[in-house]
Amino acid sequence: MIIQAKGIKKSYGNRLNRTEVLKGIDLTIEEGEFVSIMGPSGSGKTTLLNVLSSIDQVTSGHVFVEEQDITTLKEKKLADFRKEDLGFMFQEYNLLHTLTVKENILLPLSIRDIDKKEAEKQFELVSKELAIYDLKGKYPSEISGGQKQRTSAARAFIHQPKIIFADEPTGALDSKAASSLLHKLKQLNSKIRSTIVMVTHDATAASYSNRVIFLKDGLIYSSLRKGERSQEEFYMEIMNNQSVIGGVGVES
Amino acid sequence: MSLNRIILKNFFKSVKNYALYIFALIFSVVLYFSFVLMSQDDTIAAELQSESVMSTGFTVGSVLLVVIIVLFVMFANSIFLKRRNKELALFQLIGLRRKKLLRILVLENAVIYFGSLVSGITLGFLISRMLLLLLLRMLQIELSIGMSFSVTAVTQTAILFVCIFVLLMIQNFIFLKRTRLVDMLKLNQSIESDYRGIGFWTIVSGFLGLVMILSGYWLSMNIMDFGTVLVPLLLGILFLTIVGTYLLFKASVAFVLNVIRQSKNGRLNVKDVLSLTSIMFKMKSNAFLLTLISIISALSMGLMSFSYISYYSVEQSVNASISNDYVFYEEEEMLFYSELLDESGINHEVRTVPFLNYEATGEGITINTPRGGSEIDLVIVSADHIESATVKENEIIIKGLISTLDAFMNFEINSPITLFNSDYEQTLELIEVDGEAILPSHVARGALQAVVSNEVYQKLEEQYTYDEELRDNLVSYAIDISEEDSQEIFELMNQDGHHSFESRINQYTVQMQGAGVMMFVIGFVGIAFLMTTGCILYFKQVGEGEDEKESYKILRKLGFTVNELVKGLTIKVVLTFGIPLLMGLLHTYFAVNAGWFIFGSEMWLPMLTVMIGYVFLYLIFAFFSLLYYKKIVRESI
Repeated sequence: MIIQAKGIKKSYGNRLNRTEVLKGIDLTIEEGEFVSIMGPSGSGKTTLLNVLSSIDQVTSGHVFVEEQDITTLKEKKLADFRKEDLGFMFQEYNLLHTLTVKENILLPLSIRDIDKKEAEKQFELVSKELAIYDLKGKYPSEISGGQKQRTSAARAFIHQPKIIFADEPTGALDSKAASSLLHKLKQLNSKIRSTIVMVTHDATAASYSNRVIFLKDGLIYSSLRKGERSQEEFYMEIMNNQSVIGGVGVES
Repeated sequence: MSLNRIILKNFFKSVKNYALYIFALIFSVVLYFSFVLMSQDDTIAAELQSESVMSTGFTVGSVLLVVIIVLFVMFANSIFLKRRNKELALFQLIGLRRKKLLRILVLENAVIYFGSLVSGITLGFLISRMLLLLLLRMLQIELSIGMSFSVTAVTQTAILFVCIFVLLMIQNFIFLKRTRLVDMLKLNQSIESDYRGIGFWTIVSGFLGLVMILSGYWLSMNIMDFGTVLVPLLLGILFLTIVGTYLLFKASVAFVLNVIRQSKNGRLNVKDVLSLTSIMFKMKSNAFLLTLISIISALSMGLMSFSYISYYSVEQSVNASISNDYVFYEEEEMLFYSELLDESGINHEVRTVPFLNYEATGEGITINTPRGGSEIDLVIVSADHIESATVKENEIIIKGLISTLDAFMNFEINSPITLFNSDYEQTLELIEVDGEAILPSHVARGALQAVVSNEVYQKLEEQYTYDEELRDNLVSYAIDISEEDSQEIFELMNQDGHHSFESRINQYTVQMQGAGVMMFVIGFVGIAFLMTTGCILYFKQVGEGEDEKESYKILRKLGFTVNELVKGLTIKVVLTFGIPLLMGLLHTYFAVNAGWFIFGSEMWLPMLTVMIGYVFLYLIFAFFSLLYYKKIVRESI
């Protein structure tokens, strides 16, 4: 297993006025898995993702990544950990608008001593896979939303991280751009064997993954595995599950 | 709860965000108030030998100050308005009419504004006392100062700031009127569209900018060669350097940084990301502001250098124009005062020095004007009358070479110089050149003076063709006090207040005070310039920091540490502050280099003192910007 979370609790606010967002979560994710986290708004999806990815600190509990407890690491070690082992994608594309597409993608490699040819090769591989190779000289303000999100995906993959965390990566995209992105993500997931953890509220997006974890009120409510089913069948089951929990699924 | 109360509450809760604006206001009030207070202080004026010096100096200074303050406060206000954009848009979105919104702004501003006015005046009062002590030291006046508080100064400051307040309200009104709601909600994002590639014109104008600045510098170095068209030339230099500076910021910097960037072929490290790429765009969009800052820095450093040069050179320039402690126009006057001094028991020597006028030429002299040539007028004195000079036969010493002449003439030591008139010539060897005068300026009439041995002088005298009418006038009358000359002796001789002589010590005091007041006023205005430009750059950095907060967040998520980010930002701050400062310093150097000799006799020491002081104060602002960035980066995740 690559990620193991034990009894994670997270609360905000002061002693008098406290909101508990995560109320004790146990979770394991295997290497190479593509896991979606779903749940109604306010259920703690994004908080869980932030805690797993070391961006936010837990109130209590432990997160082990490859047997190493990341909740006890110092700031510098954490930065190294993010640098080496993690890739990120977000709803707002989080590109630096002063950099070109290529520069944005190569950013994670610049920290390492990877020689130029190797970097160039990696860039070509990933950007061609995501169909943005021809945009390499453009600035983010000159390309479309879907292209921006693919650039962001390319940046997450370029250094072949062990885990990629994605927070609503399709949230700002139309359905066509979204499905093309997810398709590419799935391909890269099987090609590079990176683990992907994605937060989403969209059942279609979730149906691309191997496993869906449902959160409700800061606890894991249920978990679905795709197994040998087709994507359509998996999608239907996700929808059913969602309507049981309540929230977004019921309204739609 | 009425809307007004909600808004006021909102305002007081977020008063921290207004800190910058309040600081700008208080700062301006302090600046102006302390200046006015000092200009109205009678204690200094009474001590000064010439009262008009003080009032004209301060009037010019205060006009300049008003201009800077108005510009500065309006700039701060515009930054402030943009920051509050979203809030203002929100109020409009929920249906608040513009008129009402403007009324709220007026109310808010009135609170901030008059609060700052009162605290600024209090602070200004304390600071002005300190500054006054400094001024008195510079004027070499010993005087204890009380705590006089001037009501007129308060009213004057209050009136100015009420006027500025009205101006600001007009500015706000125009801002609200001009911007549509949609734009206000989008204003923060609109910046993004500026990030595009570098075009062909950027390269061309970037290159042109560098060429213009260099040619401006070149012209200023060779200003003497074009002496006949001085005014158009100076305007040309100004034009070249100012437009060149603008193009430099608009294009050259971006162009150079882009070349560096391209060479990395996409593999930028975090330092490049935070410094190179950010500056490349920011400089371009702030080109006008940065040009203004460079020019203002150059202007204030240049003026401060000039005034410091003249202050620094007072002693030398007095020595170059007045040869003795007391100089007289008539023999009778000299004898009268000599008797007066005798009666008071003051030891002194009477100096009656005859002299001759000759023309001179020769290898030792070169004149650097467009007309060229090597003929100059010399006033010749025998070495017997000049104790300080030792001249052998066939040797000559040139005296009274002031810096203004030095810029035009070159003298070569150990070269021959020929003295001549219509029918006689005498060639001598030049052994020394010196700035001190040996004859009073009313007899030398601006010409250089020369000392020759008595033998040579005799020969020259024999061959001299006297103009009969002027025969008696070829003598200078002066008195040197044997001991140290003092203000008391001057007062003694100046009993009736209408002295018909020139006194070195009096001249020294008058010039010292004139130059001192000038330097103080220019220094004050210069520091005001410095502080305002520093503040503006700081505000800009704060704004950019807020804008780029998202980027820092991304970078930290990618695994860069706070330290790595801060290192990159340090480079950015150094460049954003450094490039305008460097341009200012270069401009100053070339300006001072071209004209310093008009003001005094020493260029490097005063200029470097001014520059070092300026750079040091400037760095304080850079340092604060860096601290701010550090804070933002730390809080970004």
